[in-house]
Amino acid sequence: MITAWIDSHLLSFIVFAPMLWGLALLPLSRSQASLAKLLGLLGACGILVVAAIQLLHLPADAMGQVYAERFPWFTAVGIPVDYHLAVDGLNLWLVLLTAFLVPVTLLGTWNSIKERPGTAVALFLMLETGMLGALVAQDLLLFYLFWEAMLLPMYFLIGIWGGDERQYAATKFILFTLSGSLLWLVALLYLGGKAGSFAPGVMAMAVAGMPAGVQSTLFLAFALAFAIKVPLFPLHTWLPDAHTQAPTGGSVLLAGVLLKLGSYGFLRFALPMFPDAAARFALLLAALSAVAIVYGALVAMAQTDIKKLVAYSSVSHMGFIMLGIASMTVIGTQGAMLQMLNHGISTGALFLLVGMLYDRAHTRRIADFGGVALKMPIFTTFFLLVTLSSIGLPLTNGFAGEFLILNGTYGSGFAWGRALACVATLGVLLSAVYMLWMVKRVFWGPANAGEDSGTARLQDDLNPREIAVMLPIVVLIFWMGLHPQTFLAQSERQVAQALAVSRAPRPPAPAFPGLALAAEVKP
Amino acid sequence: MNLTAGEISAIMPLVIPALGACLLPIAALDSDRDTVKWIRAAMFFIALFALTGGFFYLTRLWASGAQPSFGALHMDRLAQFGGIFVLVTASLAVLQLWDHLHQEGWVKGETLSLLLFSVTGMILFAATANLVLLFLALELLSLPLYALTATIRTRERAMEGGMKYFLTGAVASACFLMGSVLLYGATGSLDLTVIGARLGAGAVDPIALAGAALLLLGLLFKMSVVPFHQWTPDVYDAAPHPISGFMSVATKGVAVLALMRVMAVGMPAVGVPMRSALAVLAVLSLVLGNLAALAQTSVKRMLAYSSISHAGYLLLGFVAGTPAAYAGILFYLLAYLAMNMGAFGLLSALGLVGDEVGFDQLKGLGWKRPGLGIAVSLCLFSLAGLPPMAGFYGKYMIFKELILTGHVSLAVVGVLASLVSVYYYLGIPVALFMGKPSRQAEREAAERPAVLAPLAGATVLICGFLVLVLGLMPGTVLDGFARRAAEETVRLMP
Repeated sequence: MITAWIDSHLLSFIVFAPMLWGLALLPLSRSQASLAKLLGLLGACGILVVAAIQLLHLPADAMGQVYAERFPWFTAVGIPVDYHLAVDGLNLWLVLLTAFLVPVTLLGTWNSIKERPGTAVALFLMLETGMLGALVAQDLLLFYLFWEAMLLPMYFLIGIWGGDERQYAATKFILFTLSGSLLWLVALLYLGGKAGSFAPGVMAMAVAGMPAGVQSTLFLAFALAFAIKVPLFPLHTWLPDAHTQAPTGGSVLLAGVLLKLGSYGFLRFALPMFPDAAARFALLLAALSAVAIVYGALVAMAQTDIKKLVAYSSVSHMGFIMLGIASMTVIGTQGAMLQMLNHGISTGALFLLVGMLYDRAHTRRIADFGGVALKMPIFTTFFLLVTLSSIGLPLTNGFAGEFLILNGTYGSGFAWGRALACVATLGVLLSAVYMLWMVKRVFWGPANAGEDSGTARLQDDLNPREIAVMLPIVVLIFWMGLHPQTFLAQSERQVAQALAVSRAPRPPAPAFPGLALAAEVKP
Repeated sequence: MNLTAGEISAIMPLVIPALGACLLPIAALDSDRDTVKWIRAAMFFIALFALTGGFFYLTRLWASGAQPSFGALHMDRLAQFGGIFVLVTASLAVLQLWDHLHQEGWVKGETLSLLLFSVTGMILFAATANLVLLFLALELLSLPLYALTATIRTRERAMEGGMKYFLTGAVASACFLMGSVLLYGATGSLDLTVIGARLGAGAVDPIALAGAALLLLGLLFKMSVVPFHQWTPDVYDAAPHPISGFMSVATKGVAVLALMRVMAVGMPAVGVPMRSALAVLAVLSLVLGNLAALAQTSVKRMLAYSSISHAGYLLLGFVAGTPAAYAGILFYLLAYLAMNMGAFGLLSALGLVGDEVGFDQLKGLGWKRPGLGIAVSLCLFSLAGLPPMAGFYGKYMIFKELILTGHVSLAVVGVLASLVSVYYYLGIPVALFMGKPSRQAEREAAERPAVLAPLAGATVLICGFLVLVLGLMPGTVLDGFARRAAEETVRLMP
């Protein structure tokens, strides 16, 4: 009976179990911190197992909404709000990514948080509920609620366990995000009032009947909220602060999942709901993305702090994702889907590795290191692998994603497509420059001989726990690089559908013999 | 005089707290040193008994669906809502006062008695549409509050605050009275329903318009809407914490209910031109309240300025003026009750009874009292309007109606104002959980005996819980309570 109940409420279970588990751990977190940590990790692993077993069983042809749960939640005055959760091609892998990253984070930062570690674990679990809920919510107001609910645990994670400037960074984070989402709420309420519903489909129909100016304004309100989250240039200024101040685990989930919700919001809501306005602003979005790619890369190059460098590389990589989405082609969007996963894995792993280094050396300045490879060969191996994946070396995951995105942009048929693809390709080049330059300065060369240098403080190489965290990540990096189709199959039809709604002129997909994928895409 | 059962049930909610108010000073007379503990406990018991008695009477009345009236006194749905609202607020305030008894020893029988008299006045204020009775109720609720503000006689600013409140309040009352006189002169009636009917829908007599404006001024003063807000920070600062909480919630609440009655019943014709004036005042309150709150270093003054901005949100609901907007206002009031009593309760619960409570004094205390810290954080997130807390839905309802009635720009001002408010509200959770206490604060804390304020702490937990429940299940309360209360008012609208 219990299994039957769980089957029919599977998504609610997956979404809310982490939070309830986290709340249950709170009383333990003070006196029995290590027990709370262990139980928290087990809970997160349990969620991953349940999600993986159940969701990967998706029938191959049922690419619509699976495990949907829907009932009216409150319909008090005016617009009914539905409690509507579902998994489909767009969010399946992001849900799994989230469920994967949380236990990885907990295990990877096992000893990093010294003060009140139990409470931090509980907050991570609550954050997981917010992220999963936002990913599977199908009603826009519900999505909004989860979107905002995500802020508070992250706010506390940064503000309590962050670096020296943590209060500033936490406040900046929450104010930036809210400034976008509150204006978005106004647009949401306006649209909800006109449509009489918060279901995206119904709202899209209402949008179709509106004058172009209103459509554009509404689209911009949506886009602003999502673009701040992504973050798209020039709204990215909160990100480096949040990343550098956040504890390692916070950075991993911020980069791994929270940012994705911005691009996911574009893909799921903003583009399908406002096809005309989206087509009108696609060039702007694409241009800003291209600027973000190059700008993020250039600023990353100038950083002296490894973590800040990774944070700016995030700006650049998220620019790729947005470029793929703004190309409005199936290939580009599929590439963006893949790149979202890639970035979650690779950048998440980079933040973890930087955290491991910091825990040992208590510094993140590039100049403090040098010759780390001599002292920590295993760590260096992993770091190099992840770096190569972040650069987008063929055979690793980064290549497949960036390749599809550039391909989609180049073939988007507009005059600007080719130019922007060229600019973005420059970004690929730059990413190799800043990452490899950093690797050279930190890992290669003679050991930094300074008495108090970071290298001098390094004692041990990775322990078995840390290796256990990194191994599945490396497996994923190569799996996604060698056989991206595993991760693209489910989203293909959904993406095509989302784009089909758009009435923008679309060129035929360019024939592309190199990848099996291109042949299968029939927009 | 023979009263019918209906008439008795109409006045009972007023009689119960009034009786309690009369009994309390008697209990306080014999304050012998040895028996003083018992007498104080008895006083609190009487006060709580009177409040809960009134509460249960009203909830039964609500459940029965009866709406008795007695002359100009209408115990209709709106009045019942107002009564329940005030009684819950007052009960929370009394529970918070209990702990001050141990801390300062200033709570005498008079305090509780004055509180109950004020409660009686507030219930009456929400339950009548007669201008004379309204004025009577206004005075009955205000006069005890002036005295309550100055309750801590050893504190210099208490006297100053009480006097300031009294003088400005007297002017507001005079305006209210003058407005009633002008309305009577213009229409020949004191009953709002009749006034509304006589004013009709045609061109409005300038005398009636002036009367209406003066009447509203009196109400807006009680709501602390800009530019009638000057007294608010000083008075909240001067009063004991639970009294500040009570004033900020209950006084503002009943003023809103009375305004609802006046706008919907008394002057539908005047109401429309008045709405644009209200919109201007609402925006001023939002801007000034929020910006001034940003600059405060004292927690109570911050809460005072923020209460000015909440008056702005409530006024925005009046600008929309639809039945759903009125329901939203009532829901907002319930949310405000929980979240603001929780925020003021924190100060009592932590035993911070000094002259001024700065953010610095809260540093690191969240880790010492985690339950309290979490509960009050929920209240503050709710004040800031973050979902899924109750405050979000209050704003949601009001903004939604504003947008549907075409006031999109006002809604934008509203959300931007709440964005600003996030910054200063978060100051408290930031201090509680993210700050490290300064050396000096730690030394002071070590010198001062650890004060436990279990009852005040319990009220904060209750408030935090309410904020969450109202936020997660807004539909139940909105449908069952706020909407029905609002519909009664709106039903009277022509």
